[in-house]
Amino acid sequence: MEQKDQISQTSVGEIPKVGSESIKTADLKSTKITAGVQEVHSQEIFSEFREHSVAEFFKKNRQMLGFSGKVRSLTTLVHEYVTNSLDACEEAKILPNIYVKIDNLPNGHIRLYVEDNGPGIPKQFIGRALGQMLAGTKFHRFVQQRGQQGIGATGGTMYAQITTGKPIHCRSSTGDNIIYECDVAVDLKTNSPKISNMVEYTGKYRGLTIIGEFGEVKYDKSEYSAFEYLKATALANPHAQITIVDPEGERTVFQRAHEEVPERPKPAQPHPLGVTTDDLINYAHHSKERKLSSFLTSNFARVSDSKVEELKKLCPSINFDKMPRELKWEEAEAIVRAFKQIKWIAPSADPLRPIGKEQIEKALKNVLQPEFVSVSERSPKVFRGGVPFLVEVGIAYKGKAGRQKSDGTVGLDVKRFANRAPLLFDAGGCATMEAVKTIDWGRYGLKDIENMPVTLFMNLVSVHVPYTSAGKQAISNEEEIVEEFRYAIMEVARDLDRYLSGKIRDEQREARKKAIMRYVKQISSDLPYLAGEKTSEELEKKLLHIIESKYSKMFDKGRLTADEEKQIKKEIEEDIEE
Amino acid sequence: MAKKKEISLEKSDASLTKEDIIVKEKLTSLGKQLIKEIEAGQSPYFETVVRGRSNVLHGEEGYLYLGDKKEKRVFLNVAQAKKFMQTVAVAAKCKKFKEENLHTSIRGLFYQLKFTLGEDLDEELFEEQSESNELVEDLEVALNLKREDLNLSTDRKGVVAGNLVIRDKFGGEETEIDCTKQGRSGWMIPSDVDNGMEFIDVDVDYVLVIEKDALWQRLNEDKFWKKENCLIITPKGQASRGCRRLIRKLADMKLPIYCFMDCDAWGWYIYWTIKTGSMNLAYLGRNIATPEAKFIGVTMSDIERYDFLKKLTINAKEVDLKRAEELLSYPWISRHQDWVKELKIVLDTKKKIEQDALQGPRLTFVGEYVREKVENKQFLY
Repeated sequence: MEQKDQISQTSVGEIPKVGSESIKTADLKSTKITAGVQEVHSQEIFSEFREHSVAEFFKKNRQMLGFSGKVRSLTTLVHEYVTNSLDACEEAKILPNIYVKIDNLPNGHIRLYVEDNGPGIPKQFIGRALGQMLAGTKFHRFVQQRGQQGIGATGGTMYAQITTGKPIHCRSSTGDNIIYECDVAVDLKTNSPKISNMVEYTGKYRGLTIIGEFGEVKYDKSEYSAFEYLKATALANPHAQITIVDPEGERTVFQRAHEEVPERPKPAQPHPLGVTTDDLINYAHHSKERKLSSFLTSNFARVSDSKVEELKKLCPSINFDKMPRELKWEEAEAIVRAFKQIKWIAPSADPLRPIGKEQIEKALKNVLQPEFVSVSERSPKVFRGGVPFLVEVGIAYKGKAGRQKSDGTVGLDVKRFANRAPLLFDAGGCATMEAVKTIDWGRYGLKDIENMPVTLFMNLVSVHVPYTSAGKQAISNEEEIVEEFRYAIMEVARDLDRYLSGKIRDEQREARKKAIMRYVKQISSDLPYLAGEKTSEELEKKLLHIIESKYSKMFDKGRLTADEEKQIKKEIEEDIEE
Repeated sequence: MAKKKEISLEKSDASLTKEDIIVKEKLTSLGKQLIKEIEAGQSPYFETVVRGRSNVLHGEEGYLYLGDKKEKRVFLNVAQAKKFMQTVAVAAKCKKFKEENLHTSIRGLFYQLKFTLGEDLDEELFEEQSESNELVEDLEVALNLKREDLNLSTDRKGVVAGNLVIRDKFGGEETEIDCTKQGRSGWMIPSDVDNGMEFIDVDVDYVLVIEKDALWQRLNEDKFWKKENCLIITPKGQASRGCRRLIRKLADMKLPIYCFMDCDAWGWYIYWTIKTGSMNLAYLGRNIATPEAKFIGVTMSDIERYDFLKKLTINAKEVDLKRAEELLSYPWISRHQDWVKELKIVLDTKKKIEQDALQGPRLTFVGEYVREKVENKQFLY
């Protein structure tokens, strides 16, 4: 669910000391205007901007929001900014170029620099984008989106304040040759932004740059690191070019693999079955409807007057005529419970926007340079009696696929995503892992999958991703989702099996060929003598040719013809005979 | 490789016998056939008859032979490639022996072929002699000839005495051998009694095959062969290919073949090998079997006739009893009631009798025993 905010573009408040070094446009090459696609101006996007007031709550519950542990906290920050950039670019139909630089400061803090080539944030919105909780252009719309889990850029601002006392510095331009820079902080009591040190100048730039100084964060290259996060992000967003420069100055570029901005998912109203108490409260509290009943019918899909009547029967103590903003937590809980007891027409599957088989394949090839890739293609299904979803699973073998284990060997790596957003934490309870665990890998000749250089790419596409907790790092074990993931895994596992057996078969054929080749010289010299004929080089050549053509590689060509299948079968039988 | 220049050493066929030329032709046509297959773009192959037990048959004729089951030897099969190449090498080498009119053993052949396949290959054409034996058999079957025909000699074993005169063309010379003039040692049966061997005179009434050399020497000293006008042959245990072939040839001359063996597992086995041939050499069929052969003794029933034998029996060993049971299970044996009776006595009494026991009363009794048996036609099939 898209609760919480999610700002398309984040940014700044009061300018701290960062300002002394002027921000240079990092690595972004000139902004591309995607051919034929009209970019959407930032003003348009921000016309839907709204606000909420829950900053205090988030401050108290930071661990729930991904700010627990130093490494994870940094990853969460990177996640928030990068996700915002990707969403903003997508909405503006811009091919994203994102540049992330991480520096260790002498005082033990880390400076995080994130620059994009997105639409930028109009000056008047920058404060709310970076300094106000639950403010954003998207949370009130029901759209499948990446940035469902965080608390957005404001969370970053808050985290900087809490750990270093400093605001976030930002720079942005909507591409009108006017660039502004400022510092942004959050007034936690009033959940309002505090902007300072605003400067404006002319220059060529479009996008948003964030510079923040954070304490209680740490950079490493573990599987939970910002690095792995960006790598995973690149996998799920082949249209993005992402660069990371780590504190050692090492620079990694995840090249763009696909030159097309993904189509925006169609906004849709939330379906009652996908709504959490939290969501309901959020929606209700910013609703302009006068009555709770009309709030329900106008904001949720498939909620008709007669359904409201059913709700009333199920929740007799709730006054459905009161103002939605007066909805209490307990009441919201009761309504969500009641939602589950009513029969609903299933929500439309239209809003689902998978990454796509081709794109996933490209991304896996691009990032992992594997020897073999296969991606499943499955149609949408529903869970919880009506929430549409679909799963995308890719498998990559060898190359850079797999996870470096502590003993130095490489093993299975499961890259989990929900609506393209990487899930790095809480793998244990995730539906994806449940599916992986319950596969009978032996059936696919992959019994030792745990120790194979294999990356499994698993993406859940849904407008309601059923997370296990507010940390939004694991998909709950909905039976239908686990099953669907299992089917998808089986598909790609079968392909890998076929590839491996084909490859092994080719290797065996090659070995057979060589074994026979050894004897060609001898037999070619003995035969003419036996036949009482002159020795001829022709004979040797002919014999070599016969062998070459029998043992020519078959797998390289892809699928085998029926005849080839037959021949291979025969060869295998020959082997067994001996 | 040495062999190339040797082509120039090829002798003219003039020095070869008709049989030699036929064998050489068979080898040549095998080579031509394989080359033709390669030129047609297919894997070279030849057919051979399956030599496994499943294809060993026993018919009314009373000997073991191979059925019709054939199998292909194919070069383009990783499991067969090396053997195929080796077989061709063996064939080529045998052709050379033929042309040179020289003979050697399989071991000699092995050393001729034990060379590396090439500087870059860590492999020899042959590494073990055992590899070559099976290939030689392949060739024997595929070309329908015996290894002796390929100038491959086997170990000699077996001795003959009696009125047999042979002309032996060997090493470019001809020698006449009179088996009555071989003194105490007798004439040693060669590996090949077909090629270059001519039976000039065989004037005997029957052939006596004696398992043990000791008993043969006994009868030879008695001039038994002279008194009885027979040939005495000892295979000295299991009969060699040459010995079995000789017995076959003598039977072909309508001479009765009487076998005189121990009354124990080994003796019976030797007898039945002479009579029916063996599983291993079933591919040689009737050429190496003599179904006409008869067993004159020693038998368990002899105890009834010769009282002294009662005291001279010894305990049968486990192997004897096992062999007796095995023989009973062969249909070509169990159909002879006499044999069934004999074998059952062995199994019941767990006793056996050696030929040597006949020397119990007096040394010359051995001859008397044989004479009596032959005269009374007391034998088992």
